[in-house]
Amino acid sequence: MKFGKRLKKQVEESLPEWRDKFLSYKDLKKLVRLTSAAQPCSRVEAEFVQMLNAEIDKFNAFFVEQEEDFIIRQRELQERIKRVMEDDGTGGSQPSEMEHAKEMSRIRKDIVNFHGEMVLLENYSSINYTGLAKILKKYDKRTGRVLRLPFIEKVLKQPFFTTDLVSEMVKECERTIELVLPVADRGQSEQGRKGALVAAEQSVFRNTIAALVTMQELRKGSSTYGHFSLPPLSLPDLQLPSPIPILQ
Amino acid sequence: MYTWKEMETRSALPMGKLNMEQLGDARSSGVMSSTLPVRPNNSGEKFPKIPDSQLVLMDREIRSNPLPSDYTPFVSDGGNVGPLFSSPSGLSSDLHFSSSLPHERHTNGTPFANQLLNAGVSLSSTYSSNTGIFQVPNNNLPKDPTAVTWCPETVQGIGNSKINDSLIVVSNDLSKQNEWWSDIMNVDWKDLLNDTTIAESQSKVVCPAAQSSPDISMHQLQSHRSVPCHAGEVCSITSPMSATTSTATKPRMRWTPELHELFIDAVNQLGGGEKATPKGVLNIMKVEGLTICHVKSHLQKYRTARYIPDSSEGMSEKRITQSEELPSLNLKTGIDFTEALRLQIEVQKRLHEQLEIQRSMQLRIEEQAKRLQVMIEKQRKSTMEKQHASSTPSEPTPHSTAEIELPEGGNSSSSIQRTEDSRQVGNKWKMPELETSNKKGTDAITGCPSTSKHIRVSNEDA
Repeated sequence: MKFGKRLKKQVEESLPEWRDKFLSYKDLKKLVRLTSAAQPCSRVEAEFVQMLNAEIDKFNAFFVEQEEDFIIRQRELQERIKRVMEDDGTGGSQPSEMEHAKEMSRIRKDIVNFHGEMVLLENYSSINYTGLAKILKKYDKRTGRVLRLPFIEKVLKQPFFTTDLVSEMVKECERTIELVLPVADRGQSEQGRKGALVAAEQSVFRNTIAALVTMQELRKGSSTYGHFSLPPLSLPDLQLPSPIPILQ
Repeated sequence: MYTWKEMETRSALPMGKLNMEQLGDARSSGVMSSTLPVRPNNSGEKFPKIPDSQLVLMDREIRSNPLPSDYTPFVSDGGNVGPLFSSPSGLSSDLHFSSSLPHERHTNGTPFANQLLNAGVSLSSTYSSNTGIFQVPNNNLPKDPTAVTWCPETVQGIGNSKINDSLIVVSNDLSKQNEWWSDIMNVDWKDLLNDTTIAESQSKVVCPAAQSSPDISMHQLQSHRSVPCHAGEVCSITSPMSATTSTATKPRMRWTPELHELFIDAVNQLGGGEKATPKGVLNIMKVEGLTICHVKSHLQKYRTARYIPDSSEGMSEKRITQSEELPSLNLKTGIDFTEALRLQIEVQKRLHEQLEIQRSMQLRIEEQAKRLQVMIEKQRKSTMEKQHASSTPSEPTPHSTAEIELPEGGNSSSSIQRTEDSRQVGNKWKMPELETSNKKGTDAITGCPSTSKHIRVSNEDA
């Protein structure tokens, strides 16, 4: 499948407020096609670069904004967990226990979704980068210019592509989740699968699955596989359960 | 200034036979291994007819955003060039990964995933009603003219969305058969070689301009560059080179956990999120480069995140979960619930892992491409020197073809493929000069300064 289609699909599956933040791949592709192959002029190139810059601005702004939100949320989650853990020690009357349990599940859900959103932001970064690289290559091919290499060098340093902080937060989150989720019980796994399907209706989870599927299909081997292609995505040990009728 | 003219006037460097040992190594190690046949590029582009009115509209929109005369996309970081020039021996090993099985089908998660996606479709209608509640990126824009998170160049961003609107997205189905990854990453040899003729002159032109230009627009563009963040320092993204970047431009603010801690401390000192004022927080934090606008927007986010203390944290969370509250309510405390969460986290972890791997691969690919380019450039220079030392009488005229002769090293089938590629491409671009390939047998190569920006790869015995 073409990248354009895949991107579109990914965008559709995205969280709503993200949908207009992705690369305008189709528009850029149009611009490339309009560019004259015989006489590429600097004005057209300037326009193209300007458009790319605008896209990159868009990514950066969105990414940095989301990152800021994540920083705030991460801390808030940590605060909540601390409070809940402290409450635990006091042990107490019935209502407090139930409240405690409720808050615990709320925290668990929130933290897992939080983790998911951060990963989706990383995915956002990746897919936009890929689109940029692709459109640059198209441009080079069409016009005989050599815009791609230096341009992509700059892109690599952009905020939206320097995802180290988000990555670190994700790992931190995973550590916290280990502490917060109860120990796995093997016997419950079957019921858990059903629950998983219900949970899958949540947009974050669904979007994550979509992202994984997209990535997998995008990286399937092909006949134009070249020496700079990424290898196919293999997820052999990801234990996704077999299809079960969805709970109503 | 970055113009094509400058590149054209730069005299093309004659190239001798490339020392393909190094490149040959890279190829044989798996880059061009015979398990990966490279199909000739399917460059049959179709050109859809876009109505003239749309073209005019697009043109007008683009013009409404005045192009800075000295545009450079970003500051080129001269300092970064060094570390990339590591020994070529690293090349072959790094490129080895690409020789893994290309045609293996992975269908592990797909049936289930599709089911999940289908399950999710029924809920999509609920989301459409929830859009626009928390338009985070647009928050600051209309309100505060001095909103820091937006550089003036975001005018371009707005202009771009206008362009998007005016370019009616017609569903043109040009069915190209290329897979996207190979499209991006399949930097054919001829492409690399093309890069070498131009890219170096390009970068040379761009770099000095970036460093010396006092343009405001330059600084705005420079502000894209990310600066490593340290605790206690404001990670405002400005280039250290731009001495005049002060109040004129608004660098984009990038928060860190450490900075946020300082923020929290300051807020708590002032009596909490509700009581604290941006000015007060700013004064306590005493972080250089931090402006009141930064603090104001951050404080707003902070308050929003804490607004719903008992249910889910943060507004975006609330929006996501409120539509799922009903079905999952009865599972909230069940064991199924935690199992479901566990599954979710597993999938997410996996995606994260893959993204990390992918990213590091992408970085390495670009690194390799750059290294290769440098190597080829060096090689070209040395052969140029050789040529100058011994000038032959049969020196080709300035109008001659630019060719790089590749010896019959490495994989013969792929080099034949490349030749075909380049021939196709050459025909496509209709450059008659390319057809007059003189001196197929010689090592002397001269570039054509005016039109031929393309180096044709030809196989010696093709």
